[in-house]
Amino acid sequence: MIRRALIRFVSIALWSVLALSIAPLAHAHKASDSYLTLSVDGAKITGQWDIALRDLDLVLELDRNGDAVIDWGEVRSRQTEIAAYALRSLELKSDEKVCPLAVMSHLIDSHTDGAYAVMKLSAVCPGQVGALTVNYRLLFDVDAQHRGLLKLESLAQGGTDSTKTMSAVFPVENATQTFALAGSGAGTLTQLGTYIADGIKHIAIGFDHILFLVALLLPAVLVREAGRWLPVADMRTAFWSVLKIVTAFTIAHSITLSLAVLNVVSLPSRLVESLIAASVLVTALDNLWSFLPRKRWLVAFAFGLVHGFGFASVLADLNLPNSSLLLSLLGFNLGVEVGQIVLVSILIPLAYLTRNTRAYLRIALQTGSVVIAAISLGWLLERSLKLQLMPF
Amino acid sequence: MRTHQNLIDQCRIYAVWSLRVVVSGISLISVSALATPYVPRSDSIVLERLATKPGDAGRTSPSNRVMHALLAREPKNVDLAVRVAQLYITRSRSESDPRLLGQAQAALGAWWAQDEPPVPVLLLRATIRQSNHDFKNARLDLEQAVRREPGNAQAWLTLATVQQVTGDLSSAADSCNKLLPLVPRLVSTTCAAGVDGMRGQAAKAYDALSKTIIEVANDRGATVGVRIWALTLQAELAERLARPADAERLYRASLMLDPSDTYTVAAFADFLVDAGRAGEVLALIPATTRADILLLRRAVAAKLMVTADSAQLAQELGQRFAASSARGDRVHLREEARFALIIKNAPDEALSLARDNWAVQKEPLDARIALEAAVAARQPKAAREVLEWLDSTKLQGGKLSQLAILARAL
Repeated sequence: MIRRALIRFVSIALWSVLALSIAPLAHAHKASDSYLTLSVDGAKITGQWDIALRDLDLVLELDRNGDAVIDWGEVRSRQTEIAAYALRSLELKSDEKVCPLAVMSHLIDSHTDGAYAVMKLSAVCPGQVGALTVNYRLLFDVDAQHRGLLKLESLAQGGTDSTKTMSAVFPVENATQTFALAGSGAGTLTQLGTYIADGIKHIAIGFDHILFLVALLLPAVLVREAGRWLPVADMRTAFWSVLKIVTAFTIAHSITLSLAVLNVVSLPSRLVESLIAASVLVTALDNLWSFLPRKRWLVAFAFGLVHGFGFASVLADLNLPNSSLLLSLLGFNLGVEVGQIVLVSILIPLAYLTRNTRAYLRIALQTGSVVIAAISLGWLLERSLKLQLMPF
Repeated sequence: MRTHQNLIDQCRIYAVWSLRVVVSGISLISVSALATPYVPRSDSIVLERLATKPGDAGRTSPSNRVMHALLAREPKNVDLAVRVAQLYITRSRSESDPRLLGQAQAALGAWWAQDEPPVPVLLLRATIRQSNHDFKNARLDLEQAVRREPGNAQAWLTLATVQQVTGDLSSAADSCNKLLPLVPRLVSTTCAAGVDGMRGQAAKAYDALSKTIIEVANDRGATVGVRIWALTLQAELAERLARPADAERLYRASLMLDPSDTYTVAAFADFLVDAGRAGEVLALIPATTRADILLLRRAVAAKLMVTADSAQLAQELGQRFAASSARGDRVHLREEARFALIIKNAPDEALSLARDNWAVQKEPLDARIALEAAVAARQPKAAREVLEWLDSTKLQGGKLSQLAILARAL
């Protein structure tokens, strides 16, 4: 009871306004929503967007003659502006590439709270849509409780998959959302492929991970005896040593990557990036003066935990939909492993063949470790102190 | 054992939420499936009416446009933003239009996320949050406001309201007390009477109101809004004290002052239905009302009177609830529960809605629908919490007491 009266108390105290009789009109009052329907067919998107006329009036003053009534003439003559306003407030992206939108036609429809402008939409993406990112910002600046209600449909391709329908709500706090589409028969596989590629790419351009692996693996074809490096006797020993190191690193980073992506643990990225740099530095220094445990796989495991958090921040930047979280986790991790295997299969045979030479010890192991240590020290300073030192 | 129960509760909450997501997905799809877009035949066809009152140009009025334009130019001018937001909130109430609340929030955008915005912003933010049934944060805002400005009457009054609605009656009584030196007597008396009426002292509250209303008859402090509030509360107390003739007289006196006061119209309609006079509700509330809480009463009366439009009303109301749940709103749970119980005849659904509602607000109407649904669904366990609350508060009342007896007998 108090609630109503209370607000009246405010209004009367401030303006002495008296509520007059409300003339009944046909529609309900409700909070502001727009209804967006999108249908994805390969690279083509068609859709329909229903926006309340009373909402459009708020920003575009549709009621030009000020008679508190919006007629079709007032809407029809402003269609270009309505379309421009709407298109400014919506962006569709397929795998990071914008799909330019166009309004094909203007209609009118009725919802529970009144008349809506209906726009038929069309967009063509650069390629088949695997994951669709929708950035919705209609009306948020004038109505903070406005919401966009999306119905998203992805049509079956090639008859193997059925049409998939999803719905989502866009409030101002969650204006950008990404949806994994079933789409083609290879939809899930295509997506998995995308994530694997992301993982490989991350290893390929992630110099810190490469240098860490290099620093870790350089001594794998040698054994340390009485403070001196000696070449391993046979292929078998080198192989097992490498396998143990790589497996330990993989298990460790998979653990922390999963924990971070599933939001179980989260660390500030500045700390993680600094720790990664420190792990490279420590590993490289250890090649010069041994102070870490003799069992390299232990080192690989411990530092692998740190690198996993680094991978997670890359995945987070990809803005993944929850629906495909596990798929992306799996794919990205597989990609990282593929990248690692490629690196190992280039590095280790070369190292094994040259392990007996003085050059390997002097140039590869010692000079290499010094260079790696210097670079990682630069990263460490840069990342922990937020400086801009390094060219990469 | 306790952890075990917690786990079961967690699972239950999870299950209910998953179901809700599916249901809102379906309702979203069905809402958009209504669409049959068309091109109007001629330019002169009227598509939308912006005014909600005769002679009112709605938000298209020149003064509103000017204020809006000024704020657009100076979005950080706190005085301007507060005035615009206040205007929107007042209009939102008098027109039952929640859109205006979103616009008020947007006007306060520069301060909305701040921990300690200026006190006038704090008050408006609390009012908007309260309207969205975010009582917890509304209360935090108001507690901060009275800490910073202990002499702010509006802050104490709104705080008392939030405390009363959420069932914290002793705090509400304290807040009403704080009003004594700050406001006209009818305001503090009505504040206290509202709380007392829920604490087993309905008769005392009723007498206090009668006395004060007569005493301040010519008092300038007793504005129309406050009189309506006092009279409607007194009518509700009369109803609970089983004095139907007084209740009707007071409801009518309140409606004389403002025949469109949504709260009073709804309360009077409930009174009429309880008295077996549903036919009169059809005259009181037009079928074309924009306010959901009034349309519900009209639909209930139409169903009881078996009118020709009752199926259509039920369908329209169903669409309105579907539209609001599609956007994720949980504001009209109380009404939706009554809709499910009385119109859809779905006691289990009604009970689930009523219990969700009870977790948020605890006014007599909330207790009533929770008990009605528990009785209809034959779920004594579900009624227990409400019965315990009735025992502890000593809330009395004709219908509520009868229902409590039925619920205890389950």
